[in-house]
Amino acid sequence: MNVLHEVLNMLDEVLSLGGRAASFTRETALLGAVPELDSMAVVSVIAMLEERFGIAVADDDIDGQTFATVGSLVDFVSDRLSG
Amino acid sequence: MAAPAAPLPQAPGPATALEAFHLPRDRGQRLCVLRTPRGAAPRGALLHVPAFGEEMNKSRRMVALQSQALAQAGWAVLQLDLDGCGDSSGDLADAGWDGWVDDVCAAAGWLRERSGHAPVLWGQRTGCLLAAQAADRLGVATDLLFWQPVVNGQTALTQFLRLKAAAVLQDGQGKAVMDGLRSTLAAGGTVEVAGYCLPAAVANGLGRAMLAPPAAANTAARLAWIEVSSRPQATLSPAAEQALGRWRGAGWQAAGQVVEGPGFWQTTEIEDAPALLPATLAALAFTPAPAPAAEGAA
Repeated sequence: MNVLHEVLNMLDEVLSLGGRAASFTRETALLGAVPELDSMAVVSVIAMLEERFGIAVADDDIDGQTFATVGSLVDFVSDRLSG
Repeated sequence: MAAPAAPLPQAPGPATALEAFHLPRDRGQRLCVLRTPRGAAPRGALLHVPAFGEEMNKSRRMVALQSQALAQAGWAVLQLDLDGCGDSSGDLADAGWDGWVDDVCAAAGWLRERSGHAPVLWGQRTGCLLAAQAADRLGVATDLLFWQPVVNGQTALTQFLRLKAAAVLQDGQGKAVMDGLRSTLAAGGTVEVAGYCLPAAVANGLGRAMLAPPAAANTAARLAWIEVSSRPQATLSPAAEQALGRWRGAGWQAAGQVVEGPGFWQTTEIEDAPALLPATLAALAFTPAPAPAAEGAA
């Protein structure tokens, strides 16, 4: 599974980006840079990650870095998948 | 039995009728919307058991589109707002999960009398948990149709409670907020989350719910499980396949599929999943799934 590809697809869908995520790279800034990603959308993204990847996100798993960039989010998911 | 209100002014479609009315319950009343084929007896009946909170709100359009398509195909379709939800009477703070199961049973009984058919319970998301429990409480073989079922109520509860922690998640303060919410609920209190006053009676019922076939004897029937994914050629998750296996093990005829479309119950903008409409109609034929391919087959 290409986690980057899956995460970008999921972001595009949940945030209704209309295909914009296709041009994102690991370096693309998310929180504070993508206006659709407000705090409520973050909760929807976490829920979609849980359901798409079959991972459980614990209450203290998320911090200021998790959603900083596409890369940090991909690393978060990859870490949970291997854990 | 509640008397249906006069049909609403807007035309629901060339061959269907729409009635909105209140179903009286022990406490308060529930808003119901019934769509039926016009000029013909319905071929069957469905009762929609809604998702919770914002998932329900975001799904209203797809549920209405599907209900209309079903009515045009000859089905009587009843949509129900649960106690304290949507346009039903009462506050969410006074509602309870167990009362919701009773709401579903009562509406199913009303629909059975009105349509002449034992209704299929059509659950969406956490509504699937309620539908399965209602099927158990009804105590008769009840066909089920699940849209994107929630298998584990505790996961759904956590996802909802996270809305309260949303503003502080990035500060790493999520756990403190979540712990506070959980202890208030464990003590029987009510928590305010994203404008919803969620009482322990709802949260604890949801938190304990696991999607399982009814335990009552002679209740095994047919289950159609439909998920929606934007990934092309998506397949059911291992968790969904395992769940379906459990239902089959309990004597159910169960089939699952994934249709392509957005997760409309969760997307930021209201989105449509048009493929879901014909897929749901076809699924109601409850065609038995083909025998599993032999090991090693492509």
